[in-house]
Amino acid sequence: MTTRRQMLKSAVLGGGATVVAATALGSLGPEAAFGQAAPDIEPGAVDPNFAEGRIRSIKDNTLLVLGSNMVFHSIRVVDGTSLWKLGPVSFDQAKPGDGLYARGVRMPDGVLAAESVWLNIVNIKGHIRNITGDKLHLDHGGKEILCHRIPGKSVAIYSDSPPSADLSPLRVGQHVQILGAWRPDTNEVDIATVFSAH
Amino acid sequence: MHGIAALQPYVIGLVLLWASLTKLFSARMRAEAGRTALARLAGPARAVPALRLAGALELVVAAALLLPPVLPVEGVAATALSTGFLAYLAYARLTVPESSCGCLGAHSRPIEGRSFARAGLLLAASVAAIWAGPYTGGVWAALVAAAEVLVLLGLSPELDRHWLMPLRRLVVRVRKPLAPGPQGEVPLEVTLRLLYRSRAYCSASARLVSDVQDVWDEDGMRFVVYAAREGLAVFAVPLADADPAGVRVALVGEPALA
Amino acid sequence: MARSRPTDPVDLLGPVQGEVSWFCCGAAWGPCGTVGKGACGTCNSGSLQHAWPNTSDACWAITRPDSCGVSLSRRTCGFSHRTTALCGGASVVTTIADCGPQTDLFCGERSCCGATCASNRLIDLTPAAYSRIASLSSGLRPCEISA
Repeated sequence: MTTRRQMLKSAVLGGGATVVAATALGSLGPEAAFGQAAPDIEPGAVDPNFAEGRIRSIKDNTLLVLGSNMVFHSIRVVDGTSLWKLGPVSFDQAKPGDGLYARGVRMPDGVLAAESVWLNIVNIKGHIRNITGDKLHLDHGGKEILCHRIPGKSVAIYSDSPPSADLSPLRVGQHVQILGAWRPDTNEVDIATVFSAH
Repeated sequence: MHGIAALQPYVIGLVLLWASLTKLFSARMRAEAGRTALARLAGPARAVPALRLAGALELVVAAALLLPPVLPVEGVAATALSTGFLAYLAYARLTVPESSCGCLGAHSRPIEGRSFARAGLLLAASVAAIWAGPYTGGVWAALVAAAEVLVLLGLSPELDRHWLMPLRRLVVRVRKPLAPGPQGEVPLEVTLRLLYRSRAYCSASARLVSDVQDVWDEDGMRFVVYAAREGLAVFAVPLADADPAGVRVALVGEPALA
Repeated sequence: MARSRPTDPVDLLGPVQGEVSWFCCGAAWGPCGTVGKGACGTCNSGSLQHAWPNTSDACWAITRPDSCGVSLSRRTCGFSHRTTALCGGASVVTTIADCGPQTDLFCGERSCCGATCASNRLIDLTPAAYSRIASLSSGLRPCEISA
């Protein structure tokens, strides 16, 4: 890992000779398909290269997911796959019961070779009903969602100002969008980003 | 007791007057009529007429209660109306739980326990009003009626923005929750937001095929790696600088990583 | 702020720039589990669809983009829009399946990419659609919308 990181560091800082503007793929199994143009999908239709649902079980590098529409998905995670759970995480952070969205390439055998997997990600809008301790009580369509500030992770964006780890300018009654990670089977969310218009 | 009963028609009358005027004249209420349980029950096309009909009914009963003479039949009418409110709330909660009440004003929150408590209190007051006589004075009766009005207002989610929200704002100002802790590591989200605003990310984003794969900090920079069509895209983001112009990018072929 | 009904929708004159976010609908998990299939009754997180602020009078009364100084034409369920990320140029064509976003609640909000910025929330995509032009974890991006 260190060697790889050093190589990438020198590449981006201009000290290495391994920087290439564009090279062909072809050596990484399922990832080889990532570079292919996505087939045209009828607007309004289900996107076959996308999956949604909750993890039922995990077998080797494959997530067995039951879609909310009761369709099963097998989602293969490879070295190049990114996993998000309030930030980038390793594969061992994926747990049965987690909700997910995944994008990748549907292989001929029906398996989704994942490029990106977002675990428990939610993007909800609502009014701040109250603020107590480290929590925002969000009124989301009449239901209260408890949104936890996670020190070192949660940030707020006040319109186009630079992002800030300081959430104290948020006010009761304000309308906000909260991007975060749901705590499975609860009405609680860990905050990644709060978007505020003011 | 007679003094308390004597004031009930006025308490109920004022609440019904408020409810009827909102239903009959509030443009916002008409705009949000489609979200109320009444609309879900009566059909979207009949939402506004149904609200107006309910408002007119409430206005008639309110006028009868507030204007002399005091008659038992007014209490009976108020009791019938309050029973109807409770039945409507129960039916709406069971059949269209996500819709709002449409009782005393426009707001988007679904029917909650407070709405039932308010309707229950109105029903009790209406029953008491059947035996109401002319009010002959009495401080205690007036205090009870005033407390009743305050409880009814407190049980009205439609009014939260006038008292509960300012109260909570005050508490937040005093207690200062969410106050920033000691300055620690720069959150990754701060780096990513800076990255999204940069020309470097903009120029490379069409080539990215994954979310963040790897992140590490070194020499005052944060390095962020994505899968790209060419292999990998690596960004270097200055940790101490909020200027997106300082972000650098390189596309690295996978063969180079082997 | 003017609250009168606009007569000259900007999206009729050409592509319009604004902010794009994502929302879940249809069968779903977590806080999304109770949102239903949207105003058109067809919305699904896994389909290439979007919410538009002017699908009906009732919808317009809720979203009120005019209060942010933006007029948008009436487009009903099933109408196609192309949303192009101002950052990178990736685009996706989706059909209307819901009413939204509530533009008036975020008036004046601005998102930037490089030197290019766009203001006001004009469109919400399903996760399937949004993830074709940006990462779901970005949450909000500047975009261009064309019919």
